Amino acid sequence: MTKRNLTALEPLQRTDYFYGSSPVYAWITIVFTWLASLLPWRDWEGSPDILILVLAFWCVQQVRGVGLITAVVFGLLMDVHDANVLGAHGLAYVLVIYGAKVFRRRMMQFGGFSQMLQMLPVFFLAPFPGHLLNAWLQGAWGGWTWVLSGLITGVMWVVADLILKLPLRPVDDNETLN
Amino acid sequence: MQQNSSLRFFTHGPAAEVRLFFLAIFCVGLMIADSQTRYIEPVRKVVSVMLYPFQRTAMWPRDAVSQVYDWSNAVTIAKQESAAVQRQRIELAQLSTHAAQMAAENAQLRRLLAVKTTVQTPSVAVEILYTSVDPLNQTLVLTKGSNDGIRPGMPVIDEGGVVGQIRRVTPMTSEATLITDNKISVPVMVLRNGLRVIAFGSGQTGKLDVRYLGMGADIQAGDELVTSGIGGIYPQGLSVGKIATVERNSAEGFMRAHALPSAHPERYRHFLVLLVPTDTLPEIPASLSDVRSQGSGTSRRVN
Repeated sequence: MTKRNLTALEPLQRTDYFYGSSPVYAWITIVFTWLASLLPWRDWEGSPDILILVLAFWCVQQVRGVGLITAVVFGLLMDVHDANVLGAHGLAYVLVIYGAKVFRRRMMQFGGFSQMLQMLPVFFLAPFPGHLLNAWLQGAWGGWTWVLSGLITGVMWVVADLILKLPLRPVDDNETLN
Repeated sequence: MQQNSSLRFFTHGPAAEVRLFFLAIFCVGLMIADSQTRYIEPVRKVVSVMLYPFQRTAMWPRDAVSQVYDWSNAVTIAKQESAAVQRQRIELAQLSTHAAQMAAENAQLRRLLAVKTTVQTPSVAVEILYTSVDPLNQTLVLTKGSNDGIRPGMPVIDEGGVVGQIRRVTPMTSEATLITDNKISVPVMVLRNGLRVIAFGSGQTGKLDVRYLGMGADIQAGDELVTSGIGGIYPQGLSVGKIATVERNSAEGFMRAHALPSAHPERYRHFLVLLVPTDTLPEIPASLSDVRSQGSGTSRRVN
């Protein structure tokens, strides 16, 4: 009980040194990535899932509204688009976002490459429960190519870090964004 | 108590772990419900209808580029097509003389046998919207759905032969499972000798299995497989594939043959959905449909 009280008494305004990421900009990139995910370039099972990459990136940047429920909703949309079992993407997405939330505080102190190393296991492991459950439900094993998808998505964190931060500048420059 | 209620102001709802737990349970429940029952289908339909404009918007640049490309190469394409048509015409002229003769003979024989003339099945031309990436399902998403009369269970063909079967239908789109998917089986016969067998999808692209053949079955490499018309889904005489290899393993007690499908869903964009009546088909007995029944008498999961 005492522990709960102490954590609850943290100040409302924490001084996290994150980049001033405008929620509007973040959501525009999310919607664009989602539209890009609807395109037929993901024919190969090992192709990276850029939608969860961008969602996880903005979750780490603490963009308002990017959380576990958002992950499930986007997962559902991707399941319907990919015509596979409903909930498979949602499960993987929600695990990635949870991982991002857990590592968020620590990751903010590192650069893009170290962040990638921390997120790589999350992206790699998150699809496993869904795939195992799906294989069990369908009674067939779809091969291992999808494992590459998680790895490539994880490695692409560096790219996302570079591209998504391009229009942003550190928050201490008060005249700029926000 | 007083203190607790004032502290609530600082906390942000339930902890992430609790949310994760419930959302993960929700997803797992959804997966089980979707793969075992049909109760989730309406949800999928609603989401699919909402998704459709976004899908079309996202694919608009691609379609525009391909249209511009087609337009700019119109002359070349027209020349190529005309050459192909010329060639076909010469080939067909030879065939048609035979065919006329055969048709007359066939009509006479049919009258003799009092067989009904083969019914022309109505069909809908569809275009491929995209292919799905699920490793367990080989699925094409097509541009027309229940608004155009497409129902689950209807066969999809191209100029090569049978491509697959409609699995799910939403108002504007439909999902076709390829015959190479391991959930599909097609009743076929060997064109050479009329031997009736069943072609199963192998789960690999471009490969069909003909299983449960008796050890002495007269089947050999090069035999052509056509639909036998048994089961009521696939009209008789559609080309399905060609036998590539035959495995004679006496330990199994059965022979097994591998066939190459004659349809090439990866090559073209247009297909025909045959509007066969699917309502009159018998329901699959519960003991056979271990996964969702797919609205058809012939396609059921094997293995």
